[in-house]
Amino acid sequence: MSQLGQTQWEAVDVFLHRGDSISHVIFYSVQPVYGAQHPPLDPRLRRTFPKDTNPKFNNHKSKKASSFHEFARSTNDAWDIDDEDEEDFLPSGLHSTSTQIQVSLFKYHVSYPNNLIITIHFLIVKFFLVWPSSVRATLQKQHTLPVRPIIPLVARISDQNASGAPPMTVREKSRLDKFKQLLASSNTDLEELRKHSWSGIPREVRPITWRLLSGYLPANEERRELVLRRKREEYFGFIEQYYHSRTDDHYKDTYRQIHIDIPRTNPLIPLFQQPVVQEVFERILFIWAIRHPASGYVQGINDLVTPFFVVFLSEFVTEDVENFEVAALPLDTQRNIEADSFWCMSKLLDGIQDNYTFAQPGIQNKVKALEELVSRIDEDIHNHFKKYEVEYLQFAFRWMNNLLMRELPLRCTIRLWDTYQAEAEGFSHFHLYVCAAFLIEWRKEILSMVDFQGLLMLLQNLPTIHWGNEEVGLLLAEAYRLKYMFADAPSHYKR
Amino acid sequence: MTSREDEYDYLFKVVLIGDSGVGKSNLLSRFTRNEFNLESKSTIGVEFATRSIQVEGKTVKAQIWDTAGQERYRAITSAYYRGAVGALLVYDIAKHLTYENAERWLKELKDHADNNIVIMLVGNKSDLRHLRAVPTDEAKAFAEKHGLSFLETSALDSSNVELAFHTILTAIYNIVSQRQMSGRSDSDFSPASNVVPITVEPTQNSANKGVCCQNN
Repeated sequence: MSQLGQTQWEAVDVFLHRGDSISHVIFYSVQPVYGAQHPPLDPRLRRTFPKDTNPKFNNHKSKKASSFHEFARSTNDAWDIDDEDEEDFLPSGLHSTSTQIQVSLFKYHVSYPNNLIITIHFLIVKFFLVWPSSVRATLQKQHTLPVRPIIPLVARISDQNASGAPPMTVREKSRLDKFKQLLASSNTDLEELRKHSWSGIPREVRPITWRLLSGYLPANEERRELVLRRKREEYFGFIEQYYHSRTDDHYKDTYRQIHIDIPRTNPLIPLFQQPVVQEVFERILFIWAIRHPASGYVQGINDLVTPFFVVFLSEFVTEDVENFEVAALPLDTQRNIEADSFWCMSKLLDGIQDNYTFAQPGIQNKVKALEELVSRIDEDIHNHFKKYEVEYLQFAFRWMNNLLMRELPLRCTIRLWDTYQAEAEGFSHFHLYVCAAFLIEWRKEILSMVDFQGLLMLLQNLPTIHWGNEEVGLLLAEAYRLKYMFADAPSHYKR
Repeated sequence: MTSREDEYDYLFKVVLIGDSGVGKSNLLSRFTRNEFNLESKSTIGVEFATRSIQVEGKTVKAQIWDTAGQERYRAITSAYYRGAVGALLVYDIAKHLTYENAERWLKELKDHADNNIVIMLVGNKSDLRHLRAVPTDEAKAFAEKHGLSFLETSALDSSNVELAFHTILTAIYNIVSQRQMSGRSDSDFSPASNVVPITVEPTQNSANKGVCCQNN
């Protein structure tokens, strides 16, 4: 085993091995610090790399690829083939007695100018100091991201919206082309569009795709412009007609509650602290509330505006959306984003309004359904909860009321909603299966907690801060599996 | 990773109630983690935290349930009152409406909580002196009228937060230990049980209320 030299990151050792003629295993060791993501890249630094000096990479995932860029830049002058056995990839001197090791395998394709394409297999090993004892090599479970930058609490609203994004893979390119083709057709085939959207919508076509899938924009291309103009005018007609009534006796409680909640919506993301943006949210929520008196405004609905607003804003922003100064946009653009967010949010809420009507029957039913489902698919967890008197309502209420938005980073919610909008009854029905899959994701941690307090604290603070598209993708795949198991055989796993 | 090792003599469930935005979550985080967050999100459903304190040489573990303040949630959150032996009814001293609504919250407790639940009225955000909308005397009179103890606190500058929780936990402790001394203790109050439901029967001498009205 030969070490090819220190990279620019401290505590990162790179080892290269020969597999077959073109495959190599790079072992990438990470300093054993719990929860820390290495190497510690500042996302802003990434953009300073001149693109043309980078080797041409075809990466599957743009976000991690940007860190891969750095990784590659620091090592590509040293990619020699060494003669050691591939199995011998664990560097000596690594002590893992009190750490847990998580290993993930990733492939990257690297094209060199002379048409040589090399597939590199990465084994990414993560150490968790706090998690106990046994070494877990989950090669088959590829759910750990490789080289991931430290993700500040607020970073990366959407996985793919940072500038300096690396070139797309061939596969991504063809996916995008397929979307473009569907969208360009004079009558978009919504069924096809859903099919392709299920596994994630490319960032640059996400805004229009969301408008179509939500039922806001018509499939017929000729009608779109007219519909958009009409709906946007209609929304601002509501504002003109009703917004002043927010101080009336009848509505002042509604407005007060909205007004209290807006500064508390995504409080750590600078975008949402801008007065212009807070006013947009207040108008959207107030108009929606008074037009839906059966539910009115309920805390949590404020969160649901966020993904739409961010996605529609992203059409006009090339840098990080979360720091973008919205007031700098032309007024017309601001108004269009606001109106579109209102209508798409309304469409979403139409499907789940019983979540927010008196006594919130939609939520109560779904929490019961979740309990029933979990009792069938994972008796251990179910009995564990029973034993320690944990009730599903105590943690899953929020999962339903805020569609998991409080449990996941915003970028994950956006990805999740690609699928929810592609699924029939995604928000009202499929979400249940996602919640079940999400709960089972934490099976090991749950079963290791042996008291009520510990369980509840865990369930209220699940560590998803580092989650990205990969984790959401796996979650959705599991949810899909559960859904079809039960849709096709309602008595399946019957107790 | 678990709190198995921490031992306690008593476990008391206490709920935090009151209007939206009065600072319930920050009172909880100040007491349990000594943290204050100006930019905290609204509470959805309930949130939960614990802390143990010493009362007369005994370890009392407080299991505190922070509830959402919005009206719409009451149908569901009332379920969380089950087994609660104490309640901090919080209002914002700078927002008179939140104080006016205390009456409604008392009714809420009457309808859904145990009759003998120990209640403390808490005027939070006492640091906002220049914005005060609820005079201390007025709130104190209200508390006396309803047999509640009363304190003004500031989760922001920490004042009286410890005292508020200590006072209510001590009051609960006194009730429970009195009952045990008078020979009416039962398994409900054994340290091992998860939550101690207050099953104090309506007493003839109303001594319970005296215990919790000790402030000011």
